[in-house]
Amino acid sequence: MIEVDQLVKRFGVVTAVDGLSFTVRPGHVTGFLGPNGAGKTTTMRVILGLDAPTSGTARVNEKSYAGLIRPLHQVGALLDASALHPGRTATAHLASIAQSNGIGRGRVAEMLRLTGLEAVANRRLKGFSLGMKQRLGIAVALLGDPPVLMFDEPVNGLDTEGIAWIRQFMRALAADGRTVLVSSHLMSEMAQTADRLIVIGRGRLIADTTTAQLLESSTRSDVLVRSPRAAELADLIKARGATVKPEEDGGLAVTGLDAPAIGDLAAEHGIAVHALIPRSPSLEEAYLDLTGESTDFRAATP
Amino acid sequence: MTAPVPLAVRARDVLTSEWTKLRSVRSTYWTLLVAVATPIGISALVAVVLSHAPGKQTPVDPLLPGLISQEYAVLAVGVLGVLAFSTEYGTGLIRTTFAAVPRRRAVLAAKAAVIGALTLVAGEVVAFASFALVQAVLSGKHLGVSLSHPGVPGAVLAGGLLLFVVATMGVGLGSIVRHTAGGIAALVGLIFLPAILGVLPAPWGARIARFTLLDAARQVTALHPATDLFAPAASLLVLLAWPALTLLAAALLITRRDA
Repeated sequence: MIEVDQLVKRFGVVTAVDGLSFTVRPGHVTGFLGPNGAGKTTTMRVILGLDAPTSGTARVNEKSYAGLIRPLHQVGALLDASALHPGRTATAHLASIAQSNGIGRGRVAEMLRLTGLEAVANRRLKGFSLGMKQRLGIAVALLGDPPVLMFDEPVNGLDTEGIAWIRQFMRALAADGRTVLVSSHLMSEMAQTADRLIVIGRGRLIADTTTAQLLESSTRSDVLVRSPRAAELADLIKARGATVKPEEDGGLAVTGLDAPAIGDLAAEHGIAVHALIPRSPSLEEAYLDLTGESTDFRAATP
Repeated sequence: MTAPVPLAVRARDVLTSEWTKLRSVRSTYWTLLVAVATPIGISALVAVVLSHAPGKQTPVDPLLPGLISQEYAVLAVGVLGVLAFSTEYGTGLIRTTFAAVPRRRAVLAAKAAVIGALTLVAGEVVAFASFALVQAVLSGKHLGVSLSHPGVPGAVLAGGLLLFVVATMGVGLGSIVRHTAGGIAALVGLIFLPAILGVLPAPWGARIARFTLLDAARQVTALHPATDLFAPAASLLVLLAWPALTLLAAALLITRRDA
């Protein structure tokens, strides 16, 4: 379990994390979503005791990270897959990290096998592709067989096969009862991996929800209604307090009244309905709705 | 992991880890090779020159050539020390290191210990090899001293400290500056800039020189110590104070800054 409470982190005049609170529980893949610069990486660094919070706390398994002894047995993390010495071999890299936490050679070999790096174990890391480095980073995170795992943008730069491998891997870890926190700035990526979502923007919490709930609660879900007596029906719907927006092709986009209610209303007044389609936005749209206000650097629309 | 892990075991773990890091990169072998081969080569050269020198021409101090030759290895081991932290900061590996060992001072101590041990051995090998080479020639002219001569073993042993002193100081500077080029610049500055001030007119030259690293090193290895500097015992303290203070500053800063 990861608990972040009222976390604030300032770098000079820049506030990277601004009063963030959330809890990540075991048994799920929890997506940590936000636009670039939202404060995801900073939050993860604070959780790992790498950056000191300006105020607030971050705790892992009810302890502060700095107080953990042999922390690799408690938390495994992949922050930056390229953070390695190019002249070292994969085995030496893993072994040096394993030794610092009293983890033996056998486990190092096992992790190399698990991540499919056995064949390149004794090659220097400068020859590794980004995909191989990501696998090595995951091997590092799993060395201590920890109950809590954190991955920062693990699929960045991976090919389709690599992405599928990591997704399936993270789901298996969560199914194992572990706490898995995965950051991403891509909703589409999280939609396929995460059950729960923590969405942040400009260092603040925007949503702490399940993937399904996020879709439902989106302001963009509406009902498309088509009727030969559209204008009449529109007035009736408005009278019920719902909002009607006419679409260009003559359809009505209704929010605030669900499809069965609209159907009943039309039937009561003898109005024919040709189409009654509940529309939910894609997760991507729901996410853009949420974070649209909180993007630091937005490209101008030409 | 619920069983408490004894401190000694944790210390051994971090030492083993840093030892693995040190011996798994090529730069370690290259810098060590330069650090050992350069002074021994220079000592051999000095020996050859001395053996061809006419009659009774003799160095100021029979032990001085051995030490001066080591000064040419200072930069190599200094770089080795600086790299211990600067490459980790440069690549970002330091975050993995500190996530694995949140007690950052343990990492600093372990890096200083493994590099210190390695350069101490290298330094002593160089000191005794240089001594043997130079004295072999000098004794042929009946100008040399032997290891059984009073004060000589201690002086040669102390001469072997120079590489250790500079390398551990480099570890501290690498941790403070976090950048390879900057760390090396700081190291060169601290070693050689005060030495330049030593040329100031008396008594200021000597007053500053007695605190400089290289003059302190010459003083502890001199068979006939200079009279205007500190005594050899005090100079040994000055010599060791350089890395000690650097590592102390590094220890104070390492827990205060974000990784």
